[in-house]
Amino acid sequence: MTISGRAAIAGIGATEFSKESGRSELRLAAEACVAALKDAGLTPSDVDGLVTFTQDTNAEIAVARELGVPELTFFSRVDYGGGAACGTVAHAAMAVATGQARTVVCYRAFNERSGQRFGQATTAMAPGTTAMEFSWHLPFGFATPAAWVAMQARRYMHDYGATSEDFGRVAVAMRRHAATNPRAWFHERPITLEEHQASRWVVEPLHLLDCCQESDGAVAIVVTGADRARDLPNPPVSITAAAQGSGPNQMMMFGYYETDLAALPAMGVVGRALWERSGLTPADVRTAILYDHFTPFVLMQLEELGFCGRGEGRDFVADGGIELDGHLPVNPNGGQLGEAYIHGMNGIAEAVRQVRGTSVNQVPDVAHVLVTAGTGVPTSGLVLSRPA
Amino acid sequence: MHDRLMALADELAAEGESAATPCPDPVNAAMIRNWTRALGDRSGRWSEYAPPAMIQVWSMAGPDERPQPGGRSGQVGREETASPDRILSTLDEAGYVGVVATNCEHTYDRYLRLGEELSTTVIFDGVTGPKRTALGEGYFVTWYERWYSGGERVAEMLFRVLKFKPRGDAPPAPSGGRYPLRPAVGPDTRFFWDGVRAGELRIQRCAECGALRHPPGPMCPACHATKRDHVTAAGRGVVHSYVVHHHPPVPGLTPPYVVALVELEEGVRIIGDLLGCAPGDAYVGMPVELEFQRMDEELTLPQWRPAGTAPAAVEEPEHAEGEAGLRIELTPTFVISTALATRDLTPVHHDPAVARAQGSADIFLNILTTIGLVQRYVLESRPDARLAGIALRLGVPAYAGDTLTLTGRPVGDGALEVRGAVGAGDHVVATVRLKEPA
Repeated sequence: MTISGRAAIAGIGATEFSKESGRSELRLAAEACVAALKDAGLTPSDVDGLVTFTQDTNAEIAVARELGVPELTFFSRVDYGGGAACGTVAHAAMAVATGQARTVVCYRAFNERSGQRFGQATTAMAPGTTAMEFSWHLPFGFATPAAWVAMQARRYMHDYGATSEDFGRVAVAMRRHAATNPRAWFHERPITLEEHQASRWVVEPLHLLDCCQESDGAVAIVVTGADRARDLPNPPVSITAAAQGSGPNQMMMFGYYETDLAALPAMGVVGRALWERSGLTPADVRTAILYDHFTPFVLMQLEELGFCGRGEGRDFVADGGIELDGHLPVNPNGGQLGEAYIHGMNGIAEAVRQVRGTSVNQVPDVAHVLVTAGTGVPTSGLVLSRPA
Repeated sequence: MHDRLMALADELAAEGESAATPCPDPVNAAMIRNWTRALGDRSGRWSEYAPPAMIQVWSMAGPDERPQPGGRSGQVGREETASPDRILSTLDEAGYVGVVATNCEHTYDRYLRLGEELSTTVIFDGVTGPKRTALGEGYFVTWYERWYSGGERVAEMLFRVLKFKPRGDAPPAPSGGRYPLRPAVGPDTRFFWDGVRAGELRIQRCAECGALRHPPGPMCPACHATKRDHVTAAGRGVVHSYVVHHHPPVPGLTPPYVVALVELEEGVRIIGDLLGCAPGDAYVGMPVELEFQRMDEELTLPQWRPAGTAPAAVEEPEHAEGEAGLRIELTPTFVISTALATRDLTPVHHDPAVARAQGSADIFLNILTTIGLVQRYVLESRPDARLAGIALRLGVPAYAGDTLTLTGRPVGDGALEVRGAVGAGDHVVATVRLKEPA
């Protein structure tokens, strides 16, 4: 069986995006879930499933208690940092398609800026295989996500001649989009390529403006059966394809040892699955939500997903190619570089708005949106569509 | 608060130089001996003159005049006029309870002889802020202090502190001089770390099919054999990719530093730091060779340097222009005894609980000691020099448990730049002006 078209997103909700929410992560989770249920025209008693990230600090049962969800028949966690984002919706869609649950809320809530900041140096890990993996890296002061991405970015530049300016064009596009999105942290604050180039080094070859911001906030997504979604107030957004992916000799952001550094094999796995399961091609997608924690990986995703050939990402983003009036507008909400870093979940919400036709930066005639999750880690993706 | 603070600052600045207050003790041998012993100055040169960097010690209060937490560094009691204490206490009340010194600039008009009686004045300069800083939001407060012997000015100091609202997420302090970034070692990886300690870079080899593998694991992915041994790498490779780390601070390392992914002759890749290579000189394809770097008594790391460059001695820190470095273990005893020898009873230099409550990770070196260590470093390498002044820019705190390494280089006009680094980065960058040798 396939889950294609059997489940739909009926509601989206979020808190404000800030640098200091001033409240607990559990409260943020509960607020986003309530907002999403309200948007879906459903109540907590309709909910029987909850899915979140392994990294989320809010247990499903804790969220269920706050919401007053009486019973759960499905609860699940998806691992690998921001790679989990679309995976939560994939798990929810599978549960709904197979009858394990009727309505599942996917959520991610954190005080990532005012609390535990992912951008700071990691010095130790909890015991287990991940700690062993990190032990080949942390002792050398190779200890931040920016550094781990920079290692691939340098090789990508070497292999294909991409430059820092090419990366900067991604940042400029995201900040342009955020500038007209009132929900975005960088609303009305666009940047120029010169400002990108002048921003300080974080880890060469990455400038500060190659790195996404850190944010406090929460996003929730309501997934229910396609039939049921048709009777709810908002137009349903069909889950045409959902995929998770991990590549050969995969590690958490350290895919350095056997594979090509100038590539994202896990995203290649996801891309091939999405196209095969949806029966679509890159040409069918009017806009894409590509995980943009660091600019170089946007170029490499365009290549892995088949929007352009290997090493051609720089040409694809030239001349505003991924801006609102370009050939493939990417992250019309401003992405994580511009709107907020909610671990990819705010991107799924924007994809829903694009299909509904309600985005502040609406791309015309959107039938299908491709969404991706965190890169450099095992990841996931979605194709969301207007129901046929 | 801001408006009230600025009005008070204007009021103080308008008052100009305060009346002179006598220092509690004449320039004397006992305090000099305490100071030199605590700071490790074994030169024996201070029998006639006082160490110039000690100037501020002469006007510090003794233990009977306890300074207020967060207050100015316990100066002798003086009239309210021109004193920054009211500014500092206003900031304390508004929640800016954290305090770190950011700048201290000494000018020595002349060296002081034993027995001279000093007096001191203060001139309030100003307040700027609020500013967002790495420590939290804060205000910079600046003042001058002058010392007189009779009617003659003998020294002047500019002093600037940051009063900040602690953010509550201060970085953890390194403990006991141990390098803070340690690998987890398990049954599948112990052979590697044992090898590093024995001076070998070991690559796991499948005992059945012979496949090499790094990082290692318990089962050969090719043939599923769990029997494994290793080969010793020749220690040569090329840089497959690299990064230059600038930000954020990483405990135990001083940015910028280069981390490389090295492809070994044997065909596997490994991560390590590229030592002895300026960030701008690294490139993809650069030939490199292995060097074992001893991080502390227990941990050695396999690192890399450009092929053909002579490895430095393991214990030797790297210096610019061949200047010898001065390495000081910042034991709690060192931090506290130097604070006492400089008559600085501010609790952040001796009471860990107060230091943490004020947003620091632990007790830390006081600025009077830092400036004294800069003097010690300069005079150990240039015994005939006479100091005209020392200007400090203070960076990260030098916490108990860390190691302070001082290195120097000439910067023209007979001046020296002295850099004092701790695990988290530069603790101090000082410009030391010298007089012509007498």
